[in-house]
Amino acid sequence: MKESIVKIRNMGKAFPTGEGDFWALQNINLDFERGEFSGIVGPSGSGKTTLLNIIGSLDKPSLGDVEVLGQKIQTLNQKKSSILRAKHIGFIFQTYNLLPVYNVYENVEFPLLLLKMDAAKRERMVKDAIEWVGLTDKIKSRPNQLSGGQCQRVAIARAMVKKPDLVLADEPTANLDSENSYKILDTMLKLSEDLGTTFIFSTHDQKVISYLKRIIKLTDGEVSSDDTQTGV
Amino acid sequence: MILRLAFRNIVGNGYRSLINVLILAIVLIIMVWMQAMYHSWTRLALIQQTDWEYGKGLLRSKLYDPYDSYTWEDSAVREPEQLKSAIQGGDLVPILISPASIYPKGRMMPAVLRGIPHDQDVLRLPVSGLKAQGKDIIPVLIGQNMAQSSRLEKGDIFSIRIKDSSGVFNALDAEVSDVIHIPAASADMSSVWLDLEALREVKASESLVTYFVMGDARYADHEYENFRHIPKSEYFADFYEMLATERVQQAITYALLIFLAMIAVFDTQALAVFKRRKEIGTLASLGLTKGKISLLFTLEGIHYLLFAAIAGAILGFPLFWYFAQYGFQIPKGYEDFGIQGFTEPIYFVYPMGEIIGLFLLVLCFTALFSWLPTRKITKLSPVDALRGKVD
Repeated sequence: MKESIVKIRNMGKAFPTGEGDFWALQNINLDFERGEFSGIVGPSGSGKTTLLNIIGSLDKPSLGDVEVLGQKIQTLNQKKSSILRAKHIGFIFQTYNLLPVYNVYENVEFPLLLLKMDAAKRERMVKDAIEWVGLTDKIKSRPNQLSGGQCQRVAIARAMVKKPDLVLADEPTANLDSENSYKILDTMLKLSEDLGTTFIFSTHDQKVISYLKRIIKLTDGEVSSDDTQTGV
Repeated sequence: MILRLAFRNIVGNGYRSLINVLILAIVLIIMVWMQAMYHSWTRLALIQQTDWEYGKGLLRSKLYDPYDSYTWEDSAVREPEQLKSAIQGGDLVPILISPASIYPKGRMMPAVLRGIPHDQDVLRLPVSGLKAQGKDIIPVLIGQNMAQSSRLEKGDIFSIRIKDSSGVFNALDAEVSDVIHIPAASADMSSVWLDLEALREVKASESLVTYFVMGDARYADHEYENFRHIPKSEYFADFYEMLATERVQQAITYALLIFLAMIAVFDTQALAVFKRRKEIGTLASLGLTKGKISLLFTLEGIHYLLFAAIAGAILGFPLFWYFAQYGFQIPKGYEDFGIQGFTEPIYFVYPMGEIIGLFLLVLCFTALFSWLPTRKITKLSPVDALRGKVD
């Protein structure tokens, strides 16, 4: 049996509104194993991004337990959350969120600078990551000189460069055309298989869904189905 | 890493950064200019007064009150015996002051006769020409200011009426041997310099002296009958008082300048925190703590000042060089006020210690005003930041 790196038990998340609390997530019980290529799907407002944010320790649950790599998210202070993200979690966003003043190399290098590793090792890892996503020829380019697909590939390299245990991808293909979407999905799937990284997507894009090995469907903040696909 | 990102963000911010840098550079240039102006003025005034009037200190007759001209007539006292050798050795320069009336070109005007040994070398007054040449006409020296007010010129002969020690009025003729530039206004205005012995003779007051100028500071440490030492703090008290008033004005000007610059910095920083929420969220997702993100924005603000220091040095250099080379010309008419130091062009000397101090002060304010808007970051959740949510 594979190691479970994310354990969610009876988790709920409420947001205060003018008319009392709005429960964005309720009764969530999930486990994600190492190397899993899974996704949370559902319509807008179903709570996908909220769930991803909690797993990524960007937010805290209102109820229940969320344990990521042995650390309880609800009890982590700001500094420990930052360390968890810096060391073990990579994020890929719909809008790429690259640092506009940095070139491709520097954007990919940034997470490693936070880990304070020596320069030679860092350089090797950055170049490897850029090679994984096929952007070696764009190493000096700034984000504004790249296409949307290329930007997202830089974002993937940035998320993967530290070889994290977990990558959280929030609608990674939403701004991309089909060709680029398939390219980056192929890249992510290969990296997941090669490096054993757990990928959790939040999506309602059928192209992404077709790649997922496990699909968790959220409806009105609750898990309505959790299916493992075969033959993907 | 944060420093590099801050640097790149500032460079990448284009003309917005440029405006801030320019504003700060202008503020720094003005502050450096003002600081140099005050420093150089003070320095010049102290040098002038020391060279032309104060020497290494004054031993003043206890009866002499420089603020009360009515005391001057009777303030002279005999030279103390214990100082005779110092006087003869030239370490002490005796000066006798006597109010008089002069009659330049048929007019009458009050003046102060100042008797000084024609062989002294403690003060910079060129008094060697005051030695009487055996004629009845006494050679005198006047400053340009006195020359202007009396309309006397070199070679002019005029009459002096003076009261001797027994209260009898005497008259003598004097010839202007030279009109010189006397930078110490108090040694120029209304003053007529003549040989001490000649003045004593006219006043029939052998060995009387109003004050001594010391050529050696060791005479300050002793008590002398009828004389007291005037320390620098007392001699320059008026000047320091005027400087204190000027300093207040200077501080107000600095405060205004810094305030204006800080508005620019604060505004830019507040806008940056508002506009770059998504970037803040991204940095948080990458593992940067809120403290480090705040530091990033604060460092960006500090970078403005560092760039401004470089820009200020480059842009201000011609100005600084000009004032060091050609001096600050005193506006016409100012010399008539008798303000110490305001008698000749002020050549700028740049007090590096004070300038660095000012820079550090501005740096502290810049850091503070760069940091203040970033307090919002500590209250911002990474999720809201990523959404670009506005409070």
